[in-house]
Amino acid sequence: MHVSGLLAIDFSHLADKIFPNIEDHVIEWGFFVVNDSVFSGFIVVVALLLAALAFRLTVIRHWKTTPTGPQMFLEWLVSFFDKSADEMTEKYSGLMGPYTLGAAAYICCGVLIELFGLRPAIADLGACIALALATFLFIHTLGFAKNKARRLLHYVNPINIVTDLAVPVSMTFRLFGSILSGMVIMDMVYILVEGIWYIGLPLILPAILTPLFTLFHAFIQSYVFASLTLTFVQEAIETPPRRQKRKKKAPQGAASLPANT
Amino acid sequence: MELLITMIANFLATDGALLGAGIAAITGLGAGIGMGIATGKAVEATARQPEAVGKIRTMLLLGLAFAETTAIYGLLVSILLIFVS
Repeated sequence: MHVSGLLAIDFSHLADKIFPNIEDHVIEWGFFVVNDSVFSGFIVVVALLLAALAFRLTVIRHWKTTPTGPQMFLEWLVSFFDKSADEMTEKYSGLMGPYTLGAAAYICCGVLIELFGLRPAIADLGACIALALATFLFIHTLGFAKNKARRLLHYVNPINIVTDLAVPVSMTFRLFGSILSGMVIMDMVYILVEGIWYIGLPLILPAILTPLFTLFHAFIQSYVFASLTLTFVQEAIETPPRRQKRKKKAPQGAASLPANT
Repeated sequence: MELLITMIANFLATDGALLGAGIAAITGLGAGIGMGIATGKAVEATARQPEAVGKIRTMLLLGLAFAETTAIYGLLVSILLIFVS
């Protein structure tokens, strides 16, 4: 690729960063072929488990009736997810609250790891498919557990099969696309800024743009994933309406009115 | 005339993917209009009933996520067209 002298902008590494297919970003050990997203995923999981252990050993051990600092944060976080799970899925909130909190924490930290210079864990189709399939499993397990065989009536209309199968696909691509686009935009900014090194812009521009495309992005996407999961589960577990009996003939006075009023 | 057709065919054969990427980016138009309407209606609803702001916000965010999806599909298609060839 052409590199001019004044603006040394070189986009040739971007393609490999987006869809890794050269040795730089692919690890190959026999049958084990992964890109480096998987390793950021492992790091995120270990970090989350260690954080949970640290909270268990320090904050929860010294639980107080008047909360301060970290306990306040923990209570706010847990009650936020529990409350929204309670509102949407009454009986199953004990299951859905922890699941949405876990998925949201994984998505949020998996995107925020980009700040350390690693590839975000969610910018990999496998991670998104796994999360979407977990949601799919929850939707249909809880739907059948609540409504039993009555849920099969839902499939009398064959359009509903397509609608249900489209849910994991659309959740996968929504998550993957938004995280990937955030990563691509930040990478382009970094490459551009490398080229214009002489004004002091490299310090300012990424500092303005990083919160926009990485921080907000992480929180909004995890919130959207959690609330979409809850919405779909709520839709699945609501009891189907009984078939309404045909109304008796209207009384004499109303019979003269048009039928559709 | 024949030369023009050959030129166009050559262009489509070599750089057609980039043209397609540009066309795929038009999905942003529909998503932008939809999100604008949704936000405007949410502002109206909040002005009419300020105490319902929490419910309106959650519904707005859900709707925005749905509207954004089409734009993200277009973006994915254009990125695929540019980088995977």
